[in-house]
Amino acid sequence: MASPFSNLFRGGRRSKATQTERVRERRHEGFLRYANFRWAKISGGLCLLIIVSYAMVDVTPRHNGGSWYGYTLGTLGAGLILWLTALGYRKRKMTSDYWSLKAWTSAHVYLGLSLMVIGTWHTGFQLGWNVHTLAWALMMLVILSGLYGIVVYSTLPAALSNNRDEMTQMQMLEAIRAFDRQLHSAAQPLTPEDTAPVLAALDEDPFAGGIGARLSGRYPKCATAAALHTLAGSRSSDAEAREKVVGLLKQKQAALGRLRQHLRIRALLEIWLYVHVPLTFALIAALSAHIISVFFYW
Amino acid sequence: MSFILRRISTTKTGKQIIRDQALPGDAITLGREGGNIIHIADLAVNPHHATITSTDGRHVRVQAQEGLGFDINGRPETVADIDSAAGAELRFGGHRLTIAREGEAIILLVERIDELSQSSKDVDEAKAFSLQGVMPGKRVGAWTFAILMLLAFLVGPIWAWQSYKNVDERPKGYHADTAWLSGPLSSAHANLKNDCQSCHVEPFVAVTDKACVGCHTGEHKAMSTAHANAPTAMLLAARAPPGGFDKFLAGVGQAFNRPQGRCVECHTEHEGAGPMAATPQKFCADCHEGMNGRLKAAGHPTALADAGDFGTSHPDFRPLVHAAPGAKPVRAALGKPPLDYNGLKFPHDLHLQAAGGVARMAASFRGRYDFGKKLECANCHKPDADGVRIKPVEMERDCAMCHSLAFETVGGVTRTLRHGEPGQVVADLTAYYRSTPPARPLQLGGMERRRPGQYAEGQVYNIYFREVAVRPSRAQDAVRAVFSKGGACYDCHTIFAPTSGNDWRVMAVNQTPRFLQKGWFDHDAHRETECADCHTAASASKQSTDLLVPGLRQCRDCHVGEGGARLVKVETATESPCAMCHEYHSDGGKPWMPPTQRKKKTAAITNQPSRGTYAVSLITGPAQRKLYDVTWRTPALRPTDQGG
Repeated sequence: MASPFSNLFRGGRRSKATQTERVRERRHEGFLRYANFRWAKISGGLCLLIIVSYAMVDVTPRHNGGSWYGYTLGTLGAGLILWLTALGYRKRKMTSDYWSLKAWTSAHVYLGLSLMVIGTWHTGFQLGWNVHTLAWALMMLVILSGLYGIVVYSTLPAALSNNRDEMTQMQMLEAIRAFDRQLHSAAQPLTPEDTAPVLAALDEDPFAGGIGARLSGRYPKCATAAALHTLAGSRSSDAEAREKVVGLLKQKQAALGRLRQHLRIRALLEIWLYVHVPLTFALIAALSAHIISVFFYW
Repeated sequence: MSFILRRISTTKTGKQIIRDQALPGDAITLGREGGNIIHIADLAVNPHHATITSTDGRHVRVQAQEGLGFDINGRPETVADIDSAAGAELRFGGHRLTIAREGEAIILLVERIDELSQSSKDVDEAKAFSLQGVMPGKRVGAWTFAILMLLAFLVGPIWAWQSYKNVDERPKGYHADTAWLSGPLSSAHANLKNDCQSCHVEPFVAVTDKACVGCHTGEHKAMSTAHANAPTAMLLAARAPPGGFDKFLAGVGQAFNRPQGRCVECHTEHEGAGPMAATPQKFCADCHEGMNGRLKAAGHPTALADAGDFGTSHPDFRPLVHAAPGAKPVRAALGKPPLDYNGLKFPHDLHLQAAGGVARMAASFRGRYDFGKKLECANCHKPDADGVRIKPVEMERDCAMCHSLAFETVGGVTRTLRHGEPGQVVADLTAYYRSTPPARPLQLGGMERRRPGQYAEGQVYNIYFREVAVRPSRAQDAVRAVFSKGGACYDCHTIFAPTSGNDWRVMAVNQTPRFLQKGWFDHDAHRETECADCHTAASASKQSTDLLVPGLRQCRDCHVGEGGARLVKVETATESPCAMCHEYHSDGGKPWMPPTQRKKKTAAITNQPSRGTYAVSLITGPAQRKLYDVTWRTPALRPTDQGG
């Protein structure tokens, strides 16, 4: 059997598996190109099979979720949704078996994408304002958010790495703290008018800002920037002390900018999960309602 | 009286070290600048923030210096008098000044309580750097959404069902289970869209026929008469045993409490607004394909032939015919070409010839009737009001244009023999001969004298008066002539000569109004097709007994099975499910068809008639003619003007 399944279910000895794994490590083979796109091929074939058989199978009076073909696709889709959800359980569980988490994730991604075809063809393209279409719409949202996740996972980590410049997160924060301490002592000679903005800058939480600020990376009310602006134009304090504070403020702003960029990339990397996971559970609830409703009003 | 400044510092091991320092003087200054007695390195504290004084060594006055105040016990103040024995907590920027009394001394405890800056605060790295801090938790969202979904789309609908469980009709308004509506209902059921329970009566029980017949009484109560009269065992035996995949599907349906053979299996709902879809062929073919053999095997012999698909498997038509003169109409037997004795003599070939007497006569009437160079089918055969069928031929309307029954003109009005009443014909002719003398010869006119001898045998008087004398008895000859070969009646009718006690009789004419009783044929739907395209035998038919109803072969020139199956080459195929011609519930009625599939009457608008059509109709007026509407017929009556 030379099908893509032949490798999948082969037992394989541990040493061989380890060796294969080593080759994969060397090639930096991620979940997307796992096993030479095995799961991409499987789900692509599945989609093709569904699209072709949909056209070939003659269902009277027309295709919909209530024909034998529709029920078949629906059962397949519902089962797939539950299995895909199980990734959340699988990833928390360490195993040493053949089903590596990478394999599981690869299957999750590609089979999840094929669910777009399974689910949509299950509807027979009959959509309306009802629980059935709600389940379909939630499924599509979950899949699209997952698709977004794949895209950012494959593009953003490089940007994240460039931005951090070999610093850890805590080192970034520590840099800000250091500038704060220096600012605090450097600002002691300043007049009260000048200390107020510095104090505001010290009082600023680097993690402040809602989800909008996190995702956009824009902080228009940044106290550090405001202090810099005020002190640069101020004439009230001793010029030398003020110069020093302005210099420190500039340094703090740069450190803050790096931290905020870091937060922004991380937010972009994480936000999809806040759609993907809760909507998955909403989907499972809507799916249950959908299935029960079909049998209730059978 | 003295002030003691107390400072507490904490070692790395957490041990507290307390250092006391006596402060000189009665007035203690407090501020950020180094010159103050109490120097607080805090940007939130003014360079000269406040002075602390005491007059009696017990009560302490704290006064702010430069506008910026302080908090005492949480309240902002600029000046405060404090009893040091009672103690107080004051707040300057990020520092706390605690005033207390120990013995005779006033203790001033200064501590930094706020962090230097916000960023200096301890953070939970995992939380602060991720979205956890700014987004509600995924788990919270998951539960919230899931519960909302279940409430709105599961609990709500079931509750709606429960509340109207034993109610005949739901009140108007929103019912939560309409969220379960899988698709719009057909227009006939559109008013039920808020009342799911009108059909879905029991939960987890597939819609039963009982729910249908609750409203659909009458012919919908069970089945068509043909099916309702059959014993149940026979009906069951007729159904093809599902094989292979169908058997599997039936088994699955049974397992999920969804039995087969219910009304809704054919009459599918929730398939979109508009009329309900026509029943597909499969629901007839399930039984009727190969049914004959199955019924025979099950001990229910039947005359019904197998019918599985119009294009490939359909028995030949069995039109209603009179198999012998005067016989009762019965459906023709399969096999030989059927004969229909309708009592008329009518050679179609003669009438449809392109040349010859009939064509020439028709041509001579052009401009008076809708005739062309020869007779066409439509000249004699007229559709009925709805265009579905062709009216039985009527002598006065459809034949009399040529086959005149006129015998006399009185003052410009033509008298005709009464068609359909032989007795009246005999009476009219007898009266005619009795009341009218023969034409008087010219020699007998005038006033001049006549010579004798003209009464002699062979002379004009003798001839005339003998004729006058015998004229009434000539009626018998005329009557005989009209009923005999060459006479007006005999040409078209079978005549029975008078026998004892009977006068001349004409065989009854039985024109079958509808030949195909089991199927529905609509002439109007085929109006763009020439008659001869289907009635192919007409132009060669010599006998009126030839049944010219087209057979299956002619239909199959255009009509193929529902799925396009066919046995012969078809140019423009019309896919024809059983329901196109056959009506299940009421035999004899027009099969129901969704309006969208009905043939539109567009020909009248799109196909401009030729100029010739207008030319004729402008002269003759509308095509409809009334009974005995014969005022324009005089020229056609020349031969009879001459009288007997």
